[in-house]
Amino acid sequence: MSRIPLANLDQQPESIRQWTARRGNLNVFRLLMNAPKVFGGWTDMVDELFASPTFDARMREVIILRVAHLQASPYELGQHVPLARTVGLTDQQIDAILDAGDLDGAGFDRAERVALDVVTELCGTHRLTDDAFAAAHGVFGDEALTELLMIISCYYGLALVLNAADLDVDVAARFRP
Amino acid sequence: MTRIPYRRPEDMTERARELTLERGNLNVYRVLANAENVYPGWMLAGRAALTSPVLSRRLRELVVLRTAYLMDCAYELGQHNDIALTVGLTQHEIKAVISDFDWQTAGFTSVELAVLRLTSELVTERGASGQLVDHVHTDLGSEATVEVLMIIGRYAGLALMLNALDVDLDETARLPNLPTT
Repeated sequence: MSRIPLANLDQQPESIRQWTARRGNLNVFRLLMNAPKVFGGWTDMVDELFASPTFDARMREVIILRVAHLQASPYELGQHVPLARTVGLTDQQIDAILDAGDLDGAGFDRAERVALDVVTELCGTHRLTDDAFAAAHGVFGDEALTELLMIISCYYGLALVLNAADLDVDVAARFRP
Repeated sequence: MTRIPYRRPEDMTERARELTLERGNLNVYRVLANAENVYPGWMLAGRAALTSPVLSRRLRELVVLRTAYLMDCAYELGQHNDIALTVGLTQHEIKAVISDFDWQTAGFTSVELAVLRLTSELVTERGASGQLVDHVHTDLGSEATVEVLMIIGRYAGLALMLNALDVDLDETARLPNLPTT
């Protein structure tokens, strides 16, 4: 049971109900809707993260799953493990991201492997060594590296909110990217 | 030395430039503007977080400083040390909130202490005890509790970006464009 009551969707303004109709009626949204003065801006951020063509859906899910795992967020994993399967990640790859298998033998391409290293180091130490930064910058360049950090940042912070609320994983509702 | 180049406002899209200048021409914005496909949305979320009147400026700055300290983020500490002074925090209180233990005995109110305990536990353990969350929720209600959690989440996430890119603290520019409450 969530420690903070979830907002009633029927009592939300039209713009929020439309957004939820588009993205899914998820517990996370009904949790955050408790704060209507900041929820709208947060949805703008989420919309851009998923509309951006910089990364394909598969890379995005690789990044998000790794953050969700390292931040120990059952809620993020509950949404994004199924999503990862729909964008082409194999069970072996998902297991590897969740530290139940070998990352090097799971068939990730070089960019995915470097992204996973960035997430691991950043979530573990809160910074990047010169070598880790150079490897990531060499693969991604200024723009994509910064966007990679934006995705990490969003899901790292969100995991804290979700874990504090002990939010229930949705029974059936799924996020629509 | 910041690890990637700053975007100059004149080289940003019009939307990005407007959003940047609304807040101030800070290094944090000039660096993150490199991610031009997602920067405007991040700025809109920031505008909402920074202008919502639900939390007092004082409580918000306490949460930000505590988060910045625990994330070891020199940039956030540098900016918010100066902002905190403008919202009624004393030097003594600021020093306490960015220390390991002194915050517990620095004379903060019981609500402030509960919020600081929650912040500390959440940022260091990635989760918090039900008792602690219930305490804050009883004191603040759902709206303000969710805003506190979102502030923690936003600044913890931002600290990762600032640390990863090793962003230099602005020499003089400080986040100025906030409503006074």
